[in-house]
Amino acid sequence: MQHLRPQTWLTFVILSLAFIGCSGPETVHEYKVENLEIVLAGPLFEGPNAGQFELTLDIPGALGDAYAPGMKVADARLQRAEVAAGDSLGFAQVRSFVLSFASDNEAVAMEEAAFVNPLPDGLDRVALNVAPEAELGPHVAEEKLYVVLDVDLSEDFWDGDRLFLLNFDLSLTLQSKR
Amino acid sequence: MAVIALGMLSFELPSEINSDVLAQKTAGDELLGVWEPSNGRARVKIDRIGTKYYGRIVWLLEPNDPETGEPKTDINNPDAALQDVPLKGYRMLKDFVFQEDGTWTEGTIYDPLSGSTYNCVIKMTDENTLDIRGYIGVQALGRTDVWKRLAMPKR
Repeated sequence: MQHLRPQTWLTFVILSLAFIGCSGPETVHEYKVENLEIVLAGPLFEGPNAGQFELTLDIPGALGDAYAPGMKVADARLQRAEVAAGDSLGFAQVRSFVLSFASDNEAVAMEEAAFVNPLPDGLDRVALNVAPEAELGPHVAEEKLYVVLDVDLSEDFWDGDRLFLLNFDLSLTLQSKR
Repeated sequence: MAVIALGMLSFELPSEINSDVLAQKTAGDELLGVWEPSNGRARVKIDRIGTKYYGRIVWLLEPNDPETGEPKTDINNPDAALQDVPLKGYRMLKDFVFQEDGTWTEGTIYDPLSGSTYNCVIKMTDENTLDIRGYIGVQALGRTDVWKRLAMPKR
């Protein structure tokens, strides 16, 4: 099976909005992740199959000069999520996608943050429905988090892996020391 | 509010991270597999993500809503934005951490019939049997269900 293997890049677009909170100045930043490769390792069976990616966030590096020592993540919300086909199979046999975030920290629970169900026919790229209440701040604060994409397949798939490309935007609220 | 900065940075990701994570076996992995609750109405596949364990519904005795004929969704989810998520594939076991005493704790179990989430502890009584105890507050006030391991299909 031939996979299209575009370079995987994380792109951080930093759009910062400043306001003063009760505990210290807060700024809102947009954190953009593009072409995250999610591999479903075969053999795959009819029903839900999961792919995961261990993602390390470099918020100070992404913020550059806008970063101040002591900044903490006060809140993080998913703003947009999109899945694109990453191989020649496209979305064949895919019935739905669910996007979740998890952490190794015992105090941080997995959160479902976006999904599409059912997947419309004839697409090779789809925008997911985002759950605006999903609070991802604790996950982002851990720096290392797990991005999990559940893919529901309509039939078994024995030959090779499946590849999907994930794009998403996070809105991060960072709080500075007073 | 005022825009005070605008910039863009790019970083290349090492592609081997994903496969390394999946390849590492850890203590507690005997929990991995497909399990069936005592009522036989669902099957749950337990996977590990990072260092924690999660269980997804992979089979339902009644996969479709009898009224609509469509696949069931998580209609009782307290987050209305997630009520159209398919029930098949839903993670009803979340965030379990393996302990030195041979139990998996710190996790939760979700009841799709009520939309309620309970604290939960998992104990393996033999390699094919789990005691799944859901509770609120203290374990003594909980309820235990016995789950049995199912053989995975092979090619």
